[in-house]
Amino acid sequence: MPLLDLKGITKEYKLGKTIVRALRGLDLNIEEGEIIAIMGPSGSGKSTLMHILGALDTPTGGTAILDGQDLQQLKERQLVTLRGKRIGFVFQTFNLIQTLSAQQNVELPMIFQGIRKGERARRAKELLSKVGLADRVRHRPNELSGGERQRVAIARALANDPEIILADEPTGNLDSESGAPILALLKKLSTDDGRTVIIVTHDPDATAIADRIVRLRDGCVVEEVRNA
Amino acid sequence: MLKDFFLLAARSITHRKMRSWLTVIGVFIGITAVVALISIGLGLERTIEEQVAKVFGVDTFMIMHEDTFGPQRHGGDPDEFTLDLAFLRSIDGVKVAAAVRERTGFIQGPPGNDGVSTQGFLPVMGLSPEMRTEFESFFGTLEVQAGGRLFGEGEELVAILGDEVVERLHASVGDTLVIAGDTDAELSFTIVGVLAPSEEDESDGGGFSGGMGPSQDTIYIPFETMDLLWGPAEDVLITLVRTEPGKDVDEVADRAEKALKARGSEVTAVTYTDITDTIGTMTSTISAFLAGIAGISLLVGGVGVMNTMFTSVLERTKEIGVMKAVGAKNSHVLTIFLIESGLMGLVGGIVGTLFGLGLSAVASSFIGRFFNVDLIVVASPTLIIITLLGSFFLGAFAGLWPARRAAKLPVVDALRYE
Ligand SMILES: Nc1ncnc2c1ncn2[C@@H]1O[C@H](COP(=O)(O)OP(=O)(O)OP(=O)(O)O)[C@@H](O)[C@H]1O
Ligand SMILES: [Mg+2]
Repeated sequence: MPLLDLKGITKEYKLGKTIVRALRGLDLNIEEGEIIAIMGPSGSGKSTLMHILGALDTPTGGTAILDGQDLQQLKERQLVTLRGKRIGFVFQTFNLIQTLSAQQNVELPMIFQGIRKGERARRAKELLSKVGLADRVRHRPNELSGGERQRVAIARALANDPEIILADEPTGNLDSESGAPILALLKKLSTDDGRTVIIVTHDPDATAIADRIVRLRDGCVVEEVRNA
Repeated sequence: MLKDFFLLAARSITHRKMRSWLTVIGVFIGITAVVALISIGLGLERTIEEQVAKVFGVDTFMIMHEDTFGPQRHGGDPDEFTLDLAFLRSIDGVKVAAAVRERTGFIQGPPGNDGVSTQGFLPVMGLSPEMRTEFESFFGTLEVQAGGRLFGEGEELVAILGDEVVERLHASVGDTLVIAGDTDAELSFTIVGVLAPSEEDESDGGGFSGGMGPSQDTIYIPFETMDLLWGPAEDVLITLVRTEPGKDVDEVADRAEKALKARGSEVTAVTYTDITDTIGTMTSTISAFLAGIAGISLLVGGVGVMNTMFTSVLERTKEIGVMKAVGAKNSHVLTIFLIESGLMGLVGGIVGTLFGLGLSAVASSFIGRFFNVDLIVVASPTLIIITLLGSFFLGAFAGLWPARRAAKLPVVDALRYE
């Protein structure tokens, strides 16, 4: 049984009288521990898909099964738990909280799970050193480079030890030099920790690390390529 | 977790210092006004109570006409009432009772050098000597000029004259004076003393005796002697009673009032508690009214907090999206924003309380100097705690609407917000 099983997913937005169809019957299976690159032109629905995978949004139609659970059947409370504990999100624009230090940003998801301060701090430091930022714990986001910020964001995504990492264009705002370590890091999360990693990307480097490349166009999967 | 939420909220406040301070100022002005007014009100009440206690003593009560004391009437001349002083003295628990009654009498002064005496109508006040000996603090000091004396218990045909009366009648100590009453009785009195000119009335601070104290245009004779001229007392202005030690003053007062009423006297017994209660109700009504007006500025402060919070929610839409994306519940977001607005209220409350108490101290010293009393400055812990809690909740309440909006933001919309 695949970890994620999407069947006939549609997502529609109403903009006044016109209906925008971001996803139009998308089918996709993702196995546990896979690392997947999702590609496609702008507006093809990649982010929309990621939001549905991340339990941040619900599809208009179709079924999305995560680990045997139908996401549409879940209550808001269960969705919150899902995104708090089982899913880690990495954004293109990092989305760190500017007023908090690197360590506090990493602690944030743990605060919402009610984890004690000492445990939180220990784990945050551990994660920051894992992403190579042991000496940056006290820095604010605006005191870090883009690549460093994204690494803090990855540490944050790992805070509650999720099985699934979703990264929406994680290197989109970085040059290839600072993007490369990010991709390497994401790769390791799959190969070393056995996490499922899904990356939306335009980056040709990213396709190299993926087990599988999924291409979207107009809200549908148009091509799936398995890397050798 | 709550502690972490406080820290998160505090971060966000300190992050935009300028705006936060401006918001806090809005709250603090209102709190200052409310705290100052309430604290001045409390101080005033406490001061008046203390003054009353000083004048009155806790073992004393007054008997007045039932219309004189009460919410419907404050100040003015007291109504007259009927009183059997001897009966009052016989009531259980009464140690001393002294009364004052007043009439207008036809007066004939001593003959002058030409053998003609001055005549006229003048107020005659019947005064129990105990009024002076036992209730000086209430009645005010009665002092006579050198060469004269005051009358004591058991004396009958003696009179003390006010300064003005002496002048008009061309009389002096030792002279005889005739007073005619209603009963066709005419009695001759020996003038035993002349009132010393009163000092500035307010100077002794015993404002409570106002109007009841010595008056220079009046003739004072013993209370019981009045009976001989005008019959049994139907014209008593006030009676003071001291209870026996160990007796409950309110109980004795109650008993006296009932007994006197049963005899047809339209009286009410007023104890220290009655007076302070009345004053308390009065001052707290006034200060509640003033504080209510000051409360309007609190409303303005609250709207300020609300405005700032709406801006904060708008500015941090993306941040809210991120918090939710990493597992924040709606209630978490709500709490964080409520704490944020509550903290701004609280800071306003702290600053406002300090300023308010300062202002009340300054104002009290001004008012005190103006009325020549030492106003007590009240910094009641209850007031402070209620104010601080209140200001936190004011802030939180003002932030409720913005915070709910923040909490209800759909994650994806919040994340897409630029
Ligand atoms: N909240 C929304 N309301 C209306 N339309 C929306 C909304 N969100 C997305 N869309 C539309 O859905 C379509 C898919 O958007 P999506 O963000 O998923 O594209 P994308 O593949 O991530 O593009 P990009 O590579 O530029 O990030 C777009 O046409 C977009 O305009
Ligand atoms: Mg996108």
